[in-house]
Amino acid sequence: MDREQKKNELIGFLRTIQRPDYPHNQIDEDSSLIESGLIDSLALLQIVTHLEQAYDLDFREIGFDPAELRSVGSILNLIARELKS
Amino acid sequence: MNASQLSYRKLAQLHENERLIAWLQSCRLVIWLSVARRRQILFIGAIFAGVVGAFSRQASWHEYRFLTPWLVHGIAFLLLLGIIYSLYLAAVNFKRLPAVIRGRPQLCFHFFFWLLLLIIWCAPEQSGFSLAVLAVVAVSFPYLIWRAGYMLLSGQRGRAEGSRFSDHLFYIWPVWDGTNTPPGKGHDNLSRAEAQTPEAYARAILGGIKLLLLVALWKLVMQVIGAVVYGDPKSSLTPLLKGFYLGIPRLKQILGSDASTPLFVMWVSLYLELIWETLSLAAKGHVWIGVLRLFGFNVFRNTYKPLLAETVVDFWNRYYYYFKELMMEFFFFPAYVRYFRNQPMLRMITAVFAAAFVGNMYYHLLQAKDPLIAGNVDRLWAILGARFVYCFLLASGIAISMMRQQSRRGHPQAATLRTGGFSGVKRIACVWTFFAVINFWNVPANLTIAERGRLFLSLFGL
Repeated sequence: MDREQKKNELIGFLRTIQRPDYPHNQIDEDSSLIESGLIDSLALLQIVTHLEQAYDLDFREIGFDPAELRSVGSILNLIARELKS
Repeated sequence: MNASQLSYRKLAQLHENERLIAWLQSCRLVIWLSVARRRQILFIGAIFAGVVGAFSRQASWHEYRFLTPWLVHGIAFLLLLGIIYSLYLAAVNFKRLPAVIRGRPQLCFHFFFWLLLLIIWCAPEQSGFSLAVLAVVAVSFPYLIWRAGYMLLSGQRGRAEGSRFSDHLFYIWPVWDGTNTPPGKGHDNLSRAEAQTPEAYARAILGGIKLLLLVALWKLVMQVIGAVVYGDPKSSLTPLLKGFYLGIPRLKQILGSDASTPLFVMWVSLYLELIWETLSLAAKGHVWIGVLRLFGFNVFRNTYKPLLAETVVDFWNRYYYYFKELMMEFFFFPAYVRYFRNQPMLRMITAVFAAAFVGNMYYHLLQAKDPLIAGNVDRLWAILGARFVYCFLLASGIAISMMRQQSRRGHPQAATLRTGGFSGVKRIACVWTFFAVINFWNVPANLTIAERGRLFLSLFGL
């Protein structure tokens, strides 16, 4: 899967966990997921679970860093870095 | 929108007033206070705060007429500075630390603190001077432990490399003070939120001023409640009312009184206590964050409209944000990524209890520093026994709320229909009731758990 496909897959997942009152349709690659109101901090856990299942990432080894889950772009960077290593 | 609404909006959005921002960013002082200068001021302030902190713990100022207290506190200060510097070196050279420390840096750091306590507990009483120095170091630790913990976390995440000691010391001994919980968190969060341009700095300053204005407002509201509801002699408005007040007792008075209180009054007191504590925490937190913003760190508020929260977990998030963040960073996330990966519900419950129950209890155990350093278990239990029940109820409430919230996510229409209106008010009332009721176990009182339990049951007519 290339970055664009991963991005679409990730946005598809984020749609399933977004806040019910999120006012926008677009999900920008760089804007903060929490500050933009798309998700609340609790939803970070669901992103972790998703990344574990979809990309086999092991956060016990990577270490949990909320900043790496800050935006769609930073999540994609994390996936790319971990799959490469 | 009418004129009064418009002027309220102008005042509330003070920090977004473009004309004010443009004027402020051209002010000489704002231009002169560059990022580097602000950091220098904070570094000097940190040394000052560290000295004051070390000298004001375990001693009264009048004791400094003699040489020994000067020596004890002076050496303790230097020791603390040495410990912080060693931790800074550990953070910037994190990758070169032994594997056992790299794996669990926070645990190793806390182990060091408990080792220090063990030495104090086991030391013979005649080891006067050195024991006194160690006691001052140990009593200073609960304030430093979470702040230095954030520094280690920054090292663990590879963000401390290249940072200077002064980039960390200013939040470890902050001029804005605060409780053992670090407002603004640590290096990573503060650096991310730091204003880099005069315009961003002007915005941060206005955000800080707005919070400081809110402090004045909340203090005024507390004066009114103090006078009208409690007849508090400390309120400057009480004499103006000439003896008129509602006579609702504070919750601590109910818990400390032998006479029984009417059920209705008890419930009113419970809700008012929640409002009072929220206002009090908001006023304190706005000062910390207000000062942080005046120094250019545009970080989130500590308290943000918790009384409008419609879920338990949202209230916890808004009430004392930096305490919640502390619990999340040091307890929740580590537990979440480590345990029960294949059992989602158990995984979440474990993480919630790790944070809201275990972490919360541990935090308050460290906060009870005097009996802790004296090794006085009975006193510790007297202080923390009721909190044990409080933390259990809090964790249970959060876990249930989280599960409900998770099940609602991703269903925009269903959720939108239920948002706001009467059902919104009903949900807010439920959240108030939950926190007001569990707060019964949080207010300090000289009661055993059984006595408090009996009084608690009487709230429900049992």
